This record gives sequence, structure tokens and C-alpha cells, in this order.
Amino acid sequence: MTDADISKPRRRMSPRQKRYWTSLGLAGVIGGIVGGWMVADQANAPHSIGAIFSGALTPGFAMGASAAWVIGLAICMIIYHRAIDDHEEHAWLWASLAGWYAFIFPAPVWWVLHRAGMAPPAEAMILFVFSLVVNCIVYLWLKFR
Amino acid sequence: MNNKLKVLRAMRNWSQAELADRLDVSRQAVNAIETGKYDPSLPLAFKLARLFDMPIEDIFDDGHEGNDND
Repeated sequence: MTDADISKPRRRMSPRQKRYWTSLGLAGVIGGIVGGWMVADQANAPHSIGAIFSGALTPGFAMGASAAWVIGLAICMIIYHRAIDDHEEHAWLWASLAGWYAFIFPAPVWWVLHRAGMAPPAEAMILFVFSLVVNCIVYLWLKFR
Repeated sequence: MNNKLKVLRAMRNWSQAELADRLDVSRQAVNAIETGKYDPSLPLAFKLARLFDMPIEDIFDDGHEGNDND
């Protein structure tokens, strides 16, 4: 070890950083559990892409996954928002706004087009995923550009 | 908004990560401020001013010329 190495302050995680990584780790664990449970819940269903996204689920899984999503997300978000710095909050807020716009612009258009017989029924999950993708792109761009 | 953060950091021989640690923000935040892609909040600007022991207006420049006491 050189003198330069000794003189450098040892970098430890600050309480803010610990909260930050705890929130992300917890979100990952909850996502992994729900995903694994979903696969196990559909173990006897026919294996196809369509079945993964629209196959029947058991009531037990549906209630458990819903609770894990709502409660887990709420806990993760509380920890996350107490941990993020200025810059990340800025990225998060603009990304959230972009994600919201990605929902409110297409949703009514799809709905009226369907009512006029020009489009299939509006799919909430497609709108949700589209909004999430826009949110992620804007967040990553603002955070890491 | 222009700022002298990169110069002030270099004068102290700090890396972006070291400055980020001292401010308790992410390295990306320091980089974004230095490159002018993000203007810090007032609390973070005050934190920077205290860290470098300088007035905020000596670190940040909004490009507005004229009397500061207008």
C-alpha cells in the first residue's frame, strides 16, 4: 500500500447511499419473488408467450402478488424518495411526467377509436408498459447523459 | 448556468467521486452540475459554497451582467 493509498479517505456508504441501495435491493427481491411465484403458479399451464401474459392465474397468487406489489412498492418508494439526491429527484420527476403523458395522450385516443370500431379494446397493460418504458428512457437519459 | 466546480475540484485534487462523497450526492450529480446539464437546488448550492468556503455567486454564474445589488 502506498502513501497515496493511505492518505485517501476510505469510501464507506453514507446512510443515504445505504437507504438508496436498500430500496433498490428490496424492489429487486420483491420482483424476483413475485416473478418466481408467477412462473410456479403457471407451471401446469401450456408453455407459450401468450400464456405468460394472459393465461389464467390462481386467486391465491393474484391476491398475494397484488399485495406484494402495492405494499412492497409503497415501502420501496418511501425509502427511495428519502434516499435520492437532488439530481436523481429531478430525473425522477421529469421521467414521471413523461410517463404520465405517455398514458394520457394515447389512452383516450385508443378508447374513442375502439368505440368507433376502428381499433381493438384499449388494453390497460399495454398502456401501462408503454408508460413505464417512456418513464425508464427519460429517467436513464437524465440520470446518465 | 456556468460554474467553476470543475476548477475548484481540480485545485483540491479531488475526483468527482470524492466530491460527491463530501456532498453526499451521487457522482452523476457532480458530473451533471460540472457539465452544466443540471443546476443544483439552493440547499445543494449552499452546501457547495460551504464546502469551498466561497459565496455562491463566486461558484455559479447565471451570465447576467450588471450590478449585483439591483
